[in-house]
Amino acid sequence: MAAPPPLTDKEQAFLRALVEEDVRFLIVGLAAAALQGAPAVTQDVDLWIDSLSSPNFRRALKKLGIVYVEPTMQNPPLMVGEGAELFDLVVHMHGLESFDQEAVHAKKIAIGDVDVDVLPLERIIASKRATNRPKDRAILPVLEDTLRVLSRRGTDD
Amino acid sequence: MRLATERIRELARDMNLTLSELLERAGVSRTAYYSLARKSSVVPRSIDALAAALDEPVSGLLEELPPRVVAAQRICAQDPDASFENVWHVLTLLEMNPIERLNRSLTRGRTTTAHR
Repeated sequence: MAAPPPLTDKEQAFLRALVEEDVRFLIVGLAAAALQGAPAVTQDVDLWIDSLSSPNFRRALKKLGIVYVEPTMQNPPLMVGEGAELFDLVVHMHGLESFDQEAVHAKKIAIGDVDVDVLPLERIIASKRATNRPKDRAILPVLEDTLRVLSRRGTDD
Repeated sequence: MRLATERIRELARDMNLTLSELLERAGVSRTAYYSLARKSSVVPRSIDALAAALDEPVSGLLEELPPRVVAAQRICAQDPDASFENVWHVLTLLEMNPIERLNRSLTRGRTTTAHR
């Protein structure tokens, strides 16, 4: 039997809780690129949250019984609980402006019945260029070709 | 079969384009266009020969390319730095909704990990 898709009702419920509690967040990284049409492979969904200490964020987690684990010297911040395993918390994006400045240009994309803010492809590319690890350099041509298609479609539409 | 140059001009006019504008949009150089326009047949001789042997029109031996392939070719013609494979893949993904695209990406991510 085929495995269920990674983004099930539980993961959507998690995103819905963030939106309902007015948590300011952006989907970033390759998941954001995939949402916009890039043929990119990823294992998790990176969430850039404006403030991990905001009461709204903590309320959203509590609603779903998800536990927040503070970062340590060795580990990044974590969430533990059903529906949260797929998501990684990002506290800084290389090569980008502040959360507020980037959020202004976010794209609203529907994931099922939840509309979420997604970092635009141009800014994902800027971040990958700044991070500049081998895996970032490897994916850049794919992201740039995706941007070419999206720009072309924008012109044609 | 010759290139129907008058028909091409007419179609361009219908779209309010000059021939130069059409060539630019299509990513076809003037040299390539006029070279084709001068040919007595734009169909390779072997296809003409096959059609004659089968007593069929040339058009009966040709298949149209899928629209996505044509769209990808058009984008790559306009932007030579683009990879046809990437462009075709993106056009395929854009026919899906965002959650399908994300699930596909994550499923492949899982498969990649499992095969390591």
